[in-house]
Parts: sequence; structure tokens; C-alpha cells
Amino acid sequence: MTTMDDDRDGLASEYVLGTLDADERAQAEALMLVDAAFAETVRRWERRLGELNVLVSPVEPPPAVWEAIKGKLADVAPSESVRLPEVPPAPPRAAAGAEIVDLTQRMRRWRGLTVMTGTLAACLVAVVVMREVRPELLPAAWQPKIQVVERVVERVVEKPVEVVREVVREVPSARPAQFVAVFQKDEQSPAFLMSVDTDKRTVTVRQVAAERLADKSYQLWIATQPGAAPRSLGVLGTDDYTVQTTLASYDPAVVSNATFGISLEPLGGSPTGQPTGPVIHAKLLQVTPAQNP
Amino acid sequence: MLTSAELVWLMAGVARGDQAAFERLYAATRAKLFGVVLRILRRNDLAEEVIQETYLKIWNNAGSFDAKLATPITWMVAIARNRALDVVRRKSEVSIEDEPEAMEAAGEEPNPLARQEMNDELKRLLACLGQLDEERRRLVLLAYYGGWSREQLAVKFEAPANTIKTWLRRSLLEIRECLGS
Repeated sequence: MTTMDDDRDGLASEYVLGTLDADERAQAEALMLVDAAFAETVRRWERRLGELNVLVSPVEPPPAVWEAIKGKLADVAPSESVRLPEVPPAPPRAAAGAEIVDLTQRMRRWRGLTVMTGTLAACLVAVVVMREVRPELLPAAWQPKIQVVERVVERVVEKPVEVVREVVREVPSARPAQFVAVFQKDEQSPAFLMSVDTDKRTVTVRQVAAERLADKSYQLWIATQPGAAPRSLGVLGTDDYTVQTTLASYDPAVVSNATFGISLEPLGGSPTGQPTGPVIHAKLLQVTPAQNP
Repeated sequence: MLTSAELVWLMAGVARGDQAAFERLYAATRAKLFGVVLRILRRNDLAEEVIQETYLKIWNNAGSFDAKLATPITWMVAIARNRALDVVRRKSEVSIEDEPEAMEAAGEEPNPLARQEMNDELKRLLACLGQLDEERRRLVLLAYYGGWSREQLAVKFEAPANTIKTWLRRSLLEIRECLGS
């Protein structure tokens, strides 16, 4: 088994175990949607660890829970469901024909751009799913309160009364809309996963199966309008994760509709200010609904 | 708890939109699922919300359940755990001190009374967990049952989060190799 397979298996195993942070969970879930092999790896892990539930003591939920569920059944008759299943029977690209057409047009534009900049780039396949992944993720009761939460204290407790240590971190004033984009190398292998926090306007790019070349750099681009020249969001670092704050000057509404590209460039980035090497594209998938505080 | 075969039959009914089957499925599995999410969320109100969401998802997606790939209960537990983990990773604050009873339920020791329900698959899994170092085993069980993140485990085990990640992945790899599947 190769290192890359180990990495994907490790990601799947930790997703199922539950130790990934919110960002990594969103990326793993996006990966499951576009990569049937990864989804299968996750299912295998669910099967391996799933029997542990036998040892959990049952706890009766209050009767009001069933009343609430029953009350909502009428709204969500299964035959009318358009939501993606937890375990997709088929890759979503088969169901997203119209969007793929739209994407193909976008790709042609990018191809045109690349030609215009003087370099004929071999565009790699971009598979993009423009679909709200989980619109029902959070019920209204958990949506962020209007007041500003300045900071949060997470306590890890050894025994019910004994506080071991406090971890203090800043949280945004409202829950950010979380977007994920998958940059496909080909139909089977995502090369990069990108997540965008439109509230903090940061971009995190994770190299999944991108080739690491010692004498080349990957560069992230944004095209805010069809036909507009892409603008650089910076050169990706050599680590697994790169966090960029270069979205700060863009409007969140623009960001959520933009097309993103990653190009292969000479070491240190494009010398011309435009992509000069092969480009992979993606659009954002919304994984949690945007909030209007 | 009904047998797995009975649950499969109920799932088929739910997939056809049979509300009576859904009610029976709920009655048979609610306490298990609530127990699972309460250990992770440690707050009754959050756990109740997650259970609602989970069963609505089960109602919607019962048609995609495949008895060749999972048992009904592991399939439902996976949905409930994923939902609870998404909430626990995104929530801003949970005051553990407010819910001492729930906290007790979040402890990592499995329920010994349930051991009579052990099936062969679980026995194999526990045998493999038993081959891990004690500390690694606790790491895996705290994560699975309590929903602890790498950062929380890092504080408890006084190691950097990256080291925790390495330990977790190595432990899980050992479990996979031990299970041979």
C-alpha cells in the first residue's frame, strides 16, 4: 500500500473515530461525495468500529422527541426527498448534469484565458458538484445567537469536578458559512481540497494527491466573474496545509460564486501574474448554511 | 433490542414510507442512539436535537441502507455519531459542569452488563483493541465513545496534537491489520 493510500485510509479512519476537527470533517465529507472509493473506505471503517456501540448503555430520550420527529415527517416524505443520502448509491456527478454543462463552459473560458496568456496548458479534468451538501445540518435552535461571542473556553475534565486545563480560543462573532471545493486530478483522485471560511475570509488548501515537485510551485487563483482574468490568491506552501488570508479584500457573496483554480508554476509562482501552467478548477460546495447575524 | 434481521425488515418498511414501521424502529433503537450521542454531546438538549435530526435522516435515507454493507444499528449509529460530532466540533461552548449526570454518561468505561450481548464481530474487535498499549487503547475509546478531538486528547495525554494524530492512525492501522479485513 502506498503512502497516499495510507493517508486516505488514515483520514477515513479518523473521520469515523471522530477525532478530526470541523474543517477536516467537512473536507472528508466533500471527498466522500466525489470519490466513491474514499466513501467505501469510510464505510469499511464504520463497519470495523461500529460494533463498539453494543457497549454503550442505553438512555431513554424524553417522549417529546418522538412527538417532534412525528410532527416533521409530513414535511419530509421520503419519495419527495432530494437530499443526498449518507451513503450515496452513485456519485453525485451523474445527477448534476445541468451544472456540469455550466462547468464545461467555465472550463472553456479558462482554457481560453490560458491560451490568451500565451501558454497552451493541458487542462486537467475538473469535476465540480454545485450542490448544497447538507442544508439541514443545523436545526434553528442551534443557529448562532445574535449577540457576539468573544471567546470560548473549552474544558477538558478528568473527573466531573476536576478541571485539568483550559483551552481558550477566539471564535468568530457568528457561525461562518463553510464552503469546500474539491480540485480533481481525474475522476478518481482529488488533488486538493480547499475550505473557505467566508466570515474570517480565510482559505485552507490541503494537498491530497497532488504531486510534489521540488522545482515547481502550486498557485491558487480566483476568477470572480465569468470571463474575468484570474487573480492570484498566493502560492501554496510545501506543507500538507496552506492557510491564506488573501481573500480578505473580496466580498463574501462574490467569493461564494467565484471559480477557483490551482496552477502548476515555476518555483515561487507565476512570473507573469497570470496562470502559466496546467490549471485545475473547482467551485465551492456549501457544507453549512450561511447565517445572517 | 430487536434482532438485526427484524431491524432489516423494519428498515425496508421505512424505505417504503411505512410510518408504523418507522415508529417501531424508533422504539427499538432510540435508547441506544440517545445513549451514544449523549456521551459525545454531554447535554440533553443538544442530544435531543441530534436524535431528531438523525431519525429524520433515517426516514429520508432508509432506501440507501444496504444490508450487505452494514447492520441497521451500525448504520444508524454512524448517522447519529456523525451528526453529534459535527455539532460538537462546531458548537461554541458546552458547559460540562451544568450536566453532571450527562458527564458521567460520557465516561469511557463500557457498560459491563452489555457484555452478554456481545457478538463475534465485537469480540474480535475487543481482542484487537486488547493488543494495543493501554494508553493507546484509552485514546481510541475516549475518541469513539466521548467524541474527544485530537486537541482534547493532546491536553489529557500531555502530548502534541500531531503526536496524538500519529498514535491514533497507527493504532487504527493495527486494529485494521489485526481484524484482517
